[in-house]
Amino acid sequence: MTVADRVVLMIGTRKGAFVAEAAKSRGRFSLRGPFGPGVPVYSTLIDARGTPRLYASSCNPFFGMKVLRSTDMGKTFKETKSAPAFPKDDGRALVNIWAIEPGARKNQLLCGVEPASLFRSDDGGDSWQMVTGISNHEHARKWQPGAGGLCMHTIIRDGQRVHLGISTGGHYLSEDGGETFNASNTGVGAGFNPDPYPEFGQCVHKIARHDAAPGRLYMQNHGGWAEWTGPGGPRPDIGVLRSDDSGHTWRSIAKGLPSDFGFPIVVHPHDPDTVYVVPLEPATRTCPGGAPAVWRSENGGDSWSRLARGLPKKETYFTVLRDAMDIDDLKSPALYFGTTTGQLWVGKDGGEKWECAFEGLPPIHSVKVAVV
Amino acid sequence: MAAPAPSITIHVFGQLREYCRGVTELPVSAHTVRAALEQLERDEPLLYRNLCDETGKVRRHLNVFVNTENVRDLAGVDTTLAAGDVVTFLPAVSGG
Repeated sequence: MTVADRVVLMIGTRKGAFVAEAAKSRGRFSLRGPFGPGVPVYSTLIDARGTPRLYASSCNPFFGMKVLRSTDMGKTFKETKSAPAFPKDDGRALVNIWAIEPGARKNQLLCGVEPASLFRSDDGGDSWQMVTGISNHEHARKWQPGAGGLCMHTIIRDGQRVHLGISTGGHYLSEDGGETFNASNTGVGAGFNPDPYPEFGQCVHKIARHDAAPGRLYMQNHGGWAEWTGPGGPRPDIGVLRSDDSGHTWRSIAKGLPSDFGFPIVVHPHDPDTVYVVPLEPATRTCPGGAPAVWRSENGGDSWSRLARGLPKKETYFTVLRDAMDIDDLKSPALYFGTTTGQLWVGKDGGEKWECAFEGLPPIHSVKVAVV
Repeated sequence: MAAPAPSITIHVFGQLREYCRGVTELPVSAHTVRAALEQLERDEPLLYRNLCDETGKVRRHLNVFVNTENVRDLAGVDTTLAAGDVVTFLPAVSGG
């Protein structure tokens, strides 16, 4: 097997990070880990720019946040020299690291944290600076924590645009390379607010885009409010959304799904019209009817179909969290999702057929894949 | 003239020894737990950031003991120290 033949998965779990590896056939994955054993990992990154580097956020509730880095494809990990930290006089203290993404330049990383703030490293994670344009935004002290905490979980770069997803803060957009940000939530509903369409404060769960569809974004928002009868009235179909103007306005594409509640949203690597979600029952955050399925749209959200071949048909009540699904970029790509019950599922042929690669991992927070 | 600070010992919890060259004990001269932490911030910054957050507070899920007494039941980080005291930072027993 040559270096170019490997499909590498980084799996962040409640008890550390794991690295799985297979040939391009994706027949059988070997597993290494846990790295940072016993400590929750909420975010991972396979940075394939140049010599690949693997990163994991090691979120130690006792001793604080660490960033782990591997330069040998996940055989070993070491702590970077420092982790993001608020300035001493800021008054905020880091609770979790929810997102690590590549920055605009080589060795630059962006990091979304709880309480919702953005940090940047220009040296591969050894030192970090707070990005004040969003971290000290006039809205920042008004954001409320969602069930998972007040987290900045999505960081998407698109040229000079930077999109951020905050739960609960909403979608924030920079059009000057990340210097300044504005709330950009027109059409994004909020279910737990008398005003169904506030300026900010939405519980955005995840945002995705594709290079081949400039200006288009997909969003999994906090849905499940069709039956609400309180102030502001019901707000159906606010959970799955699309923007065609770089996130300035959004519209629902939730019609046809069994639930508009869910966490991850993923775009096909070769077709920006193909998008995947995992609908969950809003009350329990588990699979509708105990029968898990990934749902796929092949027309940008106009209609949806159910992908469940090989998945359990009944009595299954796991959750797939916001960062726990990804897709590789091979010619016939495979989807991967991890569950809160510690299963890692692989859906070859774009999710047409599912197999369980690992059945007994700790609860899975994040899954990232790269072909390197 | 102020009395010299008493010599005390910081006992280092196992997981944290990698942040202070593997030692199990650190000698410190300090009148209070707070002063001991300030000395650690200067002399052992890698260890210190495991014990205190950015605001300078002891991390939420750590307990601090002077000998066998939790400082929560004394005067917190202002608990005074006497020569020979042993200060220990331990994870609160929680979770699964």
